[in-house]
Amino acid sequence: MSKYLDLSIQEIHELLVKKEVTPKDLVVECFERIKENETLNAFITLNEDAISIAESLGEVEEDNLLFGLPIAVKDNIVTKELRTTCASKMLENFLPIYDATVVENIKKQKMIIIGKTNMDEFAMGSTSRTSYFDAPKNPWNKNCIAGGSSGGSAACVAARLIPFALGSDTGGSIRQPASYCGIVGMKPTYGRISRYGLVAFGSSLDQIGPMTRNVYENAVLLSNLTSFDEKDMTSSKKEKEDYTRFIGKEIKGMKIGVPNYWMSDIVEEEIRLEMEKTIRRLEELGATVERIDIDYIENAVTLYQIIAMGEASSNLARFDGVRYGYRTENPSDVEEMYRKTRQAGFGREVKRRIMIGSYLLSGENAVTYYNKALQIRDDIKKSFEHAFETYDLIIGPTTTTVAYSLDENLDDPMKSFMDDILVIPVNMAGLPGMNVPIAFNHNHMPIGLHIVGPSFGEAKMYQLAYAIEQDKKLNLNPKEEVA
Amino acid sequence: MKEYIPTIGLEVHVELKSKSKMFSPAPNQYGGRANYNTTVVDLGYPGTLPWLNREVVSIGLRACKVLNCTITRRMHFDRKNYFYPDNPKNYQITQSRTPIGRNGFLEIEVDGTFKKVEIEEMHIEEDTCKSMHKGDVSLLDFNRAGVPLIEIVTKPCLSSSEEAMAYLETLRRTLFYASISDCKMEEGSMRCDANISIREVGSNQLGTKIEVKNIGSIHNVGLSIEKEIERQKACLERGEILREETRRFDDNLGETVLMRVKETGNDYRYFPEPDIPFVEVTDDMVEEALFSMEMLPKERKEIYLSRGISSVNVEKLLQNKELSDYLNTYIDTDLDFVVGSNLLLGDISSFLNRTHQTLKDTLLTKEKFQALVFKISTKELSSRNVKDILDDLMETEEDMDAIISKKGIENISDTTYLEETIRKILLENVSSVEDYKNGKDRAVKYLMGQIMKETKGKANPSMANEMLLKELSKQ
Repeated sequence: MSKYLDLSIQEIHELLVKKEVTPKDLVVECFERIKENETLNAFITLNEDAISIAESLGEVEEDNLLFGLPIAVKDNIVTKELRTTCASKMLENFLPIYDATVVENIKKQKMIIIGKTNMDEFAMGSTSRTSYFDAPKNPWNKNCIAGGSSGGSAACVAARLIPFALGSDTGGSIRQPASYCGIVGMKPTYGRISRYGLVAFGSSLDQIGPMTRNVYENAVLLSNLTSFDEKDMTSSKKEKEDYTRFIGKEIKGMKIGVPNYWMSDIVEEEIRLEMEKTIRRLEELGATVERIDIDYIENAVTLYQIIAMGEASSNLARFDGVRYGYRTENPSDVEEMYRKTRQAGFGREVKRRIMIGSYLLSGENAVTYYNKALQIRDDIKKSFEHAFETYDLIIGPTTTTVAYSLDENLDDPMKSFMDDILVIPVNMAGLPGMNVPIAFNHNHMPIGLHIVGPSFGEAKMYQLAYAIEQDKKLNLNPKEEVA
Repeated sequence: MKEYIPTIGLEVHVELKSKSKMFSPAPNQYGGRANYNTTVVDLGYPGTLPWLNREVVSIGLRACKVLNCTITRRMHFDRKNYFYPDNPKNYQITQSRTPIGRNGFLEIEVDGTFKKVEIEEMHIEEDTCKSMHKGDVSLLDFNRAGVPLIEIVTKPCLSSSEEAMAYLETLRRTLFYASISDCKMEEGSMRCDANISIREVGSNQLGTKIEVKNIGSIHNVGLSIEKEIERQKACLERGEILREETRRFDDNLGETVLMRVKETGNDYRYFPEPDIPFVEVTDDMVEEALFSMEMLPKERKEIYLSRGISSVNVEKLLQNKELSDYLNTYIDTDLDFVVGSNLLLGDISSFLNRTHQTLKDTLLTKEKFQALVFKISTKELSSRNVKDILDDLMETEEDMDAIISKKGIENISDTTYLEETIRKILLENVSSVEDYKNGKDRAVKYLMGQIMKETKGKANPSMANEMLLKELSKQ
């Protein structure tokens, strides 16, 4: 069996240019790998047209590193004529009639969409266990969660089924599963990537981002996802950038802050120790690392719940059985159609969040909670901005634990939010954040480092992430390690 | 029976005349095949986002200006959440915290008295889709979904149906002339809700507010208010306590009927729309919004009256913007506006109605119209003559003189010829001249008939009449 998909994208590209391999070979291999790893349950839908698309791509574009490469797309990003379910019964048979802007961008790049990845229902959860299609599994230990909500995207990239996946991150949903699965995941600055076509969860927090095997490939993919989009009024007008431009530059002189809270005993000791080791290495490489405080980051989860659930309760109102998606059979009137459709179409966690969100926006609560949360959110943002006046980047652990067992904490909704306690403040502040693997724990489960940059500071984050990646030289291929 | 004072406030929705919808590039057009003027955004598809049409903001700013509102410089949108099948996202994007305009007014005239109707606020929002019910099936047409609206809310400052109707008529005309809306109540591009309460004379406390929703014409707004005042008076007289309720006007009954009793305040769960950033309204934007705005009816009226047009005709002109616009192209000339407006409202209007054309469709040039008005005001042409030549003026490229000579009307204003004819007639009808001298006015009519007969109807009647009287006075 061919092993093209274990090669770096530069190596694959060279083979494509030399015509030693075709995009079709890559798609075929990709499907084989997915089939062999079906138990991972990483995909909800596979793209049956992928092979014919690969055949019709035409001449290799020599200066396009992404030409003909397979990519997986999280199932809350709409793809024209390719089923998009949001891992919900509500959209079990939903065939979108348009492409998300980010999907248009990857199609322009002649990448091939292989399928739609598993996730928490409507991205609500941190373990992907709220999926209507059962949870994806962690390639490092199939009894463990892949994390969430972009669990399927993290699992398929970690298992080397595919080099690229798109995820979405409202409160850590790219970075946390990337950490649990040992891959690189970037949530760019809010507005960097158009949200048009991303099924909204918390509109003011949602951001699409790349999930890849390594830092360089992540930066290459991101360079091709960003573009100002007039269809998303919150998308940034900034010029396109080459995010690889600082990669390989030494980090000597870099000033890095580490929030005290992120190194407190909310984090497992083993992870803290790995963090300390990494910090020492960074200092040896010439960076300055100092402890700092960021206001309100310990309250970020509460604020996040208010904002994300409030917005979600409104965003998910459109799933009513009238125009698309699931509709209950033979309702006696409109009222009953709404009630029964939403009762049966949504899972427990989604309904729980809609109800809490509706409550939070009701009457005076909107002022007491939502508007107040927006104010404190501004304060968090200001506190981060203040820190970035002194520091180039801020780091900490991505998660407080490593991936845990699939049947752990099933009935504890609050625990689920605690998985994201370290990554959520970044969404609140609209900043870019990324995960880069730094170690394995005693059970050989991946541990990740969280890098936070100032607004639109992604290039610098890749510089640091690459330096760490090169220094650690971890073997992140679970097939080789676990065997 | 006690004396009561009515208090009325109006909420008016008008559809804005933008090329595309408020948040999508779909065309903003009335009619058309169901669901054809739509995009995924208008259908509330998963993943879609609103894309604010700058033209809508511009039209909104123009509306603020013509209604004398203070513009909100840092403007935003809010979501109003409620479930209804005609509401594609089950939330409506509107403005609750930052309406585009506040504290405006519109001046109305009722029976010669002027009054400033205070406008509390006006905001921009998106329209819903249209639902139709056939048997036990409900159908939805999303062509209207996402059409931009402004809602204009008055303070409770109106005190009669006359005032309410005058306000609506003035508002309708103002918005129409400023190209803000078509304001066609029959097509639903202007809709009105009225809030009506009455209180006893001497009481400072406002009575219970009754809302009459979605009234279909200005006339019916007047009727609704009158009927409501009567109904509320009767209720109070019977000792009943009024409750807050929503009613509608029933065309067939000619009365308001109960829709629903208001429950403990609807909870729309308003919150700031996260998909749209704040809009900073700059001076340039305001200027641009007013650029190319046409003259408003108030100013037109002042000019027309000052140029001698009767108030009846001013009213008629303002009702027909096309004719008013046409007349306005002569504002800087010394054209006789009285003759010009008579011509436009009379013969030209009937020609246009008869041929189903607009002025632009005809071959009437600026020069021809000017010459025509001149010849009428100098009495070279009679109204009879105008009728004879009008079709040719409108439908051919020939110039005025050519048409006149072709029609053989060139002699009519030849004063020498007319004078001779009149003298001849007077000599032939000595008894009629005597009758005239004895005060019998009928004689003039008879003599005129003779003149017309002699000239085969070609004499300019008013000129002939004038000359006849002059000759008679010499006798």
